[in-house]
Amino acid sequence: MRAEELKGHLDAMLLAALESGPRHGYAIIEVLRQGTGGRLDLPTGTIYPALRRLEQSGLVSGSWSVVAGRRRRSYRLTAAGRRALAGRRADWREFAATVSAVLERPCPDPA
Amino acid sequence: MPGPGLIADYLDALSRQLPGPIVDELADGLEQTYRRHLGLGLAPETAAEAAVAEFGDPELIAAEFSRSHPARRAARRLLATGPPVGACWAAALITGRAWTWPVPALAGIVPGLALVTVITLLAAAATSTRYRSAGRAGTAGCIGVIVLDASMIIGVTAADPALGRAAVMGMAASAARIGFSARLLRPVLTRE
Repeated sequence: MRAEELKGHLDAMLLAALESGPRHGYAIIEVLRQGTGGRLDLPTGTIYPALRRLEQSGLVSGSWSVVAGRRRRSYRLTAAGRRALAGRRADWREFAATVSAVLERPCPDPA
Repeated sequence: MPGPGLIADYLDALSRQLPGPIVDELADGLEQTYRRHLGLGLAPETAAEAAVAEFGDPELIAAEFSRSHPARRAARRLLATGPPVGACWAAALITGRAWTWPVPALAGIVPGLALVTVITLLAAAATSTRYRSAGRAGTAGCIGVIVLDASMIIGVTAADPALGRAAVMGMAASAARIGFSARLLRPVLTRE
């Protein structure tokens, strides 16, 4: 899938990747990679600024830990992030149902 | 970080543009990406090339970080306050016949120059794709707005103690913007 197409949905996908618990950046990238069946065609370095943007918006919170002598930043969903995810999910379902209703059903012959 | 020089060079390129904590986070992710490629059986050099290619252009990553810099957001919001606060002061100066006040000519020029400087700094912060530049310009712009608003309040009070309604409105607008600027400045200064 093209990066530009993904970009509009990246925030929702990042929130979804954190729904089951805190994760660090690379673990989030792995969730997205596996969840999309390897079709994630996005420079993975750009996930990190997106996470900082979500943190700035109060949708996720970040914290540092030290693993094997290396500083690691993990993120967790905030209550506002859970509400935002629920909203984005509902919007996506409505959008997908609307588009699918036209794209995936044969159009009737013109009268 | 262990691994070939390519990864060290990549992190150096990021370090030139981004602060240490952000580079630490990226280094952690890059190392894990590199190890994944090693685990897939690639030679170290090839694994490093694959990891760096997967991560993306350092310029692109730095530009994305600068877009999320709170200084950029602060600058945009303060620029938006310019027209309404400026209109309040314009009304105050016109109705108070500011040109008749007994103040030295320099007192009229300096605030104008300061205003242009502050607007330039805020515009630079609002559009910069360089993380550090955005932060520096945004910080200076926010502080400039606070100083400018405080100077207007003090200067107009000193020049025309019989304050009219328009002057009071201008002062109220500036006082509100001082508080707003201070609130916007806090995340800019505490940003890692």
